[in-house]
Amino acid sequence: MSITIDSYNTDVKNTWCPGCGNFNIHLALKKALAELKKDPSEVVITFDIGCNGNGGDKIKAFNIKGLHGRALPIAIGAHLANREMTTIATIGDGGCLHEGIDHLIHGIRSNYNITVLIHNNQNFALTTGQITSTTIKGKRMYGFPHGKTEGDINIGELVLSLNPSFYARGYSGDCIHLTEIIKEGIKHRGFSVIEIIQLCPTYNREFSHDVASKLVKKVDVSDSIEKARKHILNSKNLSIGVLYQNKKLTDYYSSLKNRKSIKTELVDEVKRKNISNILAKL
Amino acid sequence: MKNRYVVKFAGQSGQGINLLGKFFSSSLKNLGHYIFAYREYPSIIRGGYASYQIDVSSENISASSKKCDILTCFAKEAFDEYIYFVNKNGVILHSIKDISLDKKEENFLKGNNIQLEYFDLETITKKNKAPLVMGNVVLLSAIFKLLNLDVKPLEEVIVGHFKNKKRIDLDAERRCIQAGYNFNFSDTTKVKKLSLGKEKNWHNSSILSGNDAIALGAITAGCRAYYAYPMTPATSILATLGNTYQETGIIVKQAESEITAALMVLGSMYMGTRAFTATSGGGFDLMTESISFAGIAEIPLVIVLGQRAGSGTGVPTWTGASDLDVALHAGHGEFPRCVMVASDAIDSYELIQDAFNIAEIYQIPVILLTEKQVAESLFNIRSLPRAKKIERGLITNGQRRYEITKNGISPRWLPKKGKTTYLTNSDEHDQYGISTESESEIVMMSEKRERKIKTLSRALPPPKYYGPKDPTIVFVGIGSTKNAVLDAMKITKRRVGCLHYKYVYPFKKEKILEFADKKVKIVLIENNQTNQLGKLIKEQGGIYIPNTLNKYDGRPFFVDDILNYLKK
Repeated sequence: MSITIDSYNTDVKNTWCPGCGNFNIHLALKKALAELKKDPSEVVITFDIGCNGNGGDKIKAFNIKGLHGRALPIAIGAHLANREMTTIATIGDGGCLHEGIDHLIHGIRSNYNITVLIHNNQNFALTTGQITSTTIKGKRMYGFPHGKTEGDINIGELVLSLNPSFYARGYSGDCIHLTEIIKEGIKHRGFSVIEIIQLCPTYNREFSHDVASKLVKKVDVSDSIEKARKHILNSKNLSIGVLYQNKKLTDYYSSLKNRKSIKTELVDEVKRKNISNILAKL
Repeated sequence: MKNRYVVKFAGQSGQGINLLGKFFSSSLKNLGHYIFAYREYPSIIRGGYASYQIDVSSENISASSKKCDILTCFAKEAFDEYIYFVNKNGVILHSIKDISLDKKEENFLKGNNIQLEYFDLETITKKNKAPLVMGNVVLLSAIFKLLNLDVKPLEEVIVGHFKNKKRIDLDAERRCIQAGYNFNFSDTTKVKKLSLGKEKNWHNSSILSGNDAIALGAITAGCRAYYAYPMTPATSILATLGNTYQETGIIVKQAESEITAALMVLGSMYMGTRAFTATSGGGFDLMTESISFAGIAEIPLVIVLGQRAGSGTGVPTWTGASDLDVALHAGHGEFPRCVMVASDAIDSYELIQDAFNIAEIYQIPVILLTEKQVAESLFNIRSLPRAKKIERGLITNGQRRYEITKNGISPRWLPKKGKTTYLTNSDEHDQYGISTESESEIVMMSEKRERKIKTLSRALPPPKYYGPKDPTIVFVGIGSTKNAVLDAMKITKRRVGCLHYKYVYPFKKEKILEFADKKVKIVLIENNQTNQLGKLIKEQGGIYIPNTLNKYDGRPFFVDDILNYLKK
């Protein structure tokens, strides 16, 4: 039986707002996995808490809906245990840049071979529109009639400052392009960070498809951090595409000296082990 | 103390006190004696005072005496701290130049007939063409002379330790050992000779810390990943697993925080390997959300909680047992869990294996408590018990991951190509894992999870009773308190019993109720101030124990503490 988008569909009713970027993101993810001929049972997806987390039962795979901001460490633990599975962490800009920012930073530094989808809709949406570090300055938000006091975090700048192995940006309004980016991220051997500019028609109405589609500009893959930074800092456009890829960095697991000659995965190794040699050396 | 000889090494932190303690322990073990070694050290890298006390006996011991027969001292701070912990007719060997004693110290030495013997290590090491740092070996081997012991085992242990190390002059080490053994003690310096019986083939026995035993137990149990953040007294588990990772193939990861460590464990356990983390109270607090998540999502989780004294940062390198409450209650909401407490090396080795089995079969968080006194003390055992069978409770494939069952345990199968996919959900969910807000489903799922406690309780062994059939007094406790009581029972003439819990929650109340019915004097013994075990016994067993013996000064219970209590 061939694998199609339909192989990934579940019969759970969708609960996102009409026009929500999550519809297209899910479609792109399903399409990417199907085109890569991954069976749903070969895929592990961890979900954040928030609107993206509500997608946990809307795509068929081995999914974990965990804790707010914690999609990454759960995915990393799963990945290290069995690399035969394709591991993807999906997380919002709130969870990723606020409560879970340390996981992103150390994930990039460690270069685990997983793919991270950051759903950037510029607010905490499920708790009805609070400020995040990507919210537009001056925009009236929940409890803050004059907008946020604090500065911003630019996801691309942050990621590129950490010597990443893969950083891409996609747009939820361009499903076909996003599909290709996700495919590249999954294929990349290392920590693939994909920021997805996500429409939120309920709490970020100003940033509509009309506005966004005029800003987005597709760029080619680059192996220069400087070039990628230029794209990110260009305020006239929203560059999308694989902005930076470094294939030379070795992923975490492949760098482990004690796993070099071992062919099995950790999940195959849960067996009784004799410890007398170690005891004798203590 | 009867059947015991006690030697203490004391000096500044960073003066190699640990190494001396280990050398002495191994040598005495090789000579056929039982040892128990206890460390005290400050939370600094250089300076302050640190000590290593080795109790030597002709029978199995696992607690320290409060005072020593020989104090070996390398620094004045340590001298000032430990002088009053020397027994009558004891000896102090020291290398403190121009030592000056105050009146109180002089009177104490005189009044207790304690001899002071000075070692001019600068001259001795120079004469033997050895660096000054080797001087402490001189004092070490002088003890062998003083006690009329064969010094050969000491030489073997020291040479064995250094032979693969670079830049160590082994001949200089040997010369220092000889110099110490040939030391001319003043005529007045005499100690009671070591008149302890020897155990057959005891040189084949093992010396290991509780943390070593946890690491070994985890390896035995098929654990394949260890994720942790350093925190005393759990840190040395990382060292033992890290230093052996080449031969075990275990992934050892120092995570960016305890939050990450616990969640990585959950990710790996979910996927089907065995992984765990260890920490102390502060790090455990950060793992709280993961415990609650594991509870509702029914993911196996194993956390070792190494207790130390105090809240906040507390007294980081000192012992205590005040984290039972947090282990029992950490995590919001209601969910089943298992809490066990290790008391010594053998317990540590066995309980970590149990922890993995229970976590996997029951799909619950398991918290294994240890304490600095257990984690870092050296226990001397003939051998480790036979490895436990690995039990995982897995099925090959299924349909409803959270199926409502009578015993509360739902079928669990591992994520793998070709298997039925499912959602592991921290939202309340239906039998397929799909989020739910339905009244009846919430109730059914909560009750299902809670049923696991009854099922688990039936499977757990009861507490162990040590002592005579007709005791007049029974100590009830967890963790290292047992060790001091058992050691005291070998000395006292009173009919003392000890009821010791390893599996603390779910709590088995039957045994304690039996003693309550017999009208025996029950004494709660706890290394904390507020009787945390007592509260659990009251809550679960319905009995209040008015007699308590508490200690919360950062020190473990010494054998003397128990004997003094029994004299009252």
